[in-house]
Amino acid sequence: MTAIALIPLTVWFLASVITLTGRDHAGVVTWLRTPSATICMVLLLVALFYHMALGLQVVIEDYVHSGARFPVLIAIRLGCFALAVTGIVVTLRISLGG
Amino acid sequence: MKTIASRRRPLSPNIQIYRPQLTSVLSIVNRVTGVVLSAFAVFLVIWLSAAATGPQAFATVQSVIGSWIGQFLMIGGVFSFFMHLCGGIRHLFWDAGYGFHLRTIYASGWAVVIASFLLTGATWALSTYMAG
Amino acid sequence: MTEDKRSPFLIESSDQLPRVTVLKRFPLPRKLGVGKESRIGKGKRWPLPATAAARVKTFEIYRYDPDSGDNPVIDIFEIDLDDCGPMVLDALIWIKNKVDPTLTFRRSCREGVCGSCAMNIDGTNWLACTRYIAETDGSATIYPLSNLRIIKDLVPDLTHMFAQYSLIEPWLHSKAPAPERERLQSPAERAELDGYYECILCFCCTSGCPSHWWNGDRFLGPAALLHAYRWLIDSRDEATGERLDDLEDPFRLYRCHTILNCTRTCPKGLNPGKAIAEIKKMIVERTG
Repeated sequence: MTAIALIPLTVWFLASVITLTGRDHAGVVTWLRTPSATICMVLLLVALFYHMALGLQVVIEDYVHSGARFPVLIAIRLGCFALAVTGIVVTLRISLGG
Repeated sequence: MKTIASRRRPLSPNIQIYRPQLTSVLSIVNRVTGVVLSAFAVFLVIWLSAAATGPQAFATVQSVIGSWIGQFLMIGGVFSFFMHLCGGIRHLFWDAGYGFHLRTIYASGWAVVIASFLLTGATWALSTYMAG
Repeated sequence: MTEDKRSPFLIESSDQLPRVTVLKRFPLPRKLGVGKESRIGKGKRWPLPATAAARVKTFEIYRYDPDSGDNPVIDIFEIDLDDCGPMVLDALIWIKNKVDPTLTFRRSCREGVCGSCAMNIDGTNWLACTRYIAETDGSATIYPLSNLRIIKDLVPDLTHMFAQYSLIEPWLHSKAPAPERERLQSPAERAELDGYYECILCFCCTSGCPSHWWNGDRFLGPAALLHAYRWLIDSRDEATGERLDDLEDPFRLYRCHTILNCTRTCPKGLNPGKAIAEIKKMIVERTG
């Protein structure tokens, strides 16, 4: 269940963001470069967008009964996948980049 | 007079008249906050991308967050997050088969509402304190 | 349960629920998603004769006459509380006897056993025979059970819900040859069914379930699923596996999103929400 994984991950993220309040770009990059932060962020992105795809799918299934349903479901899956990949690539670029 | 067969029987009203109760209201709130948080998830990716692009792009995004409307949205997002988190934990208990007594349903429901407000307030206070 | 033994918490069973909520209905347009044939118009007012006594109570009641070809309307009736019994059903019978004999509704036992007089009273589903008039709003609103095709006035067409009930095969499945005598259960096995066998099929729950409103064509709804659970846990039933196979479907079972309007509205104080959660657990446990 992605929900269980998201409890610690999202709370970690929120706590981190609170401590980052007021920091500049360099501060955020330094934070994201620590191995623990990188790993947590990647896990967060995977769990978050998987959870989001499942959740939005249920919402669409509940309320959309027309022919638009199938294309919308595909679009949601692709969109979530693309967002997750983008997020991970960008995180790794910060983490590994010079 | 129209014949009976030519007419479709009317559907009795549902959401138009059914009383909003803690049960249904928290369910729809969980759903709405989930959709709201999806938008914030997209914003998270934008924020990370800006951080990867460079200090200038990052500063632009940060200034959006810092504006009063950005702050307002952030507080809304944090509240949505806690509502969804607490509501989600409530759902996990149900999935495990616990908390189905009506009294428990109502107690946990109000607990979710109160906890969400308190946690949002605490987050806001902490981040204000951190910002100095 | 006596008054003084009640828990300090608000609710012990569904008949103690707060009748008053912040809003009486969701702040939505009254015509949202309502088909042309279902729009509700304004009806007649049926005042008491001027000579009548002082204790007057008004009821706003949904009326639909299939013979007229007109849309449903809300009629307003005045009743004399001094001349009428204490329950909402008494008021309906009073109106039918003394004001408008064409008012149509189902009723039979008048004591919460048969489930015929289920209807939407002040925005929640309940049995008219077990709701006190004194517990209703100043002007009480009476609608038929929600989201059903209406035959006349407060009489909905329950065919679909009974079809869904029959789909779960609500009878004992046994592969063993029939024994000479009854199939015996231990008292403990029998006690497992408590809280699940008492359902009277009034369909207050299914008709109050938003998931069933939007996906009732495929989602079985709380009443049918409560009965499904009652047979799943019956020690004499030997078709547990097949029953779970039939239920394991994203729509039949899993459109339940644990909204729990069902448990909140059940006039018998049963817990369809818990029954459905237990079915989901049984499916997880047999795969895991």
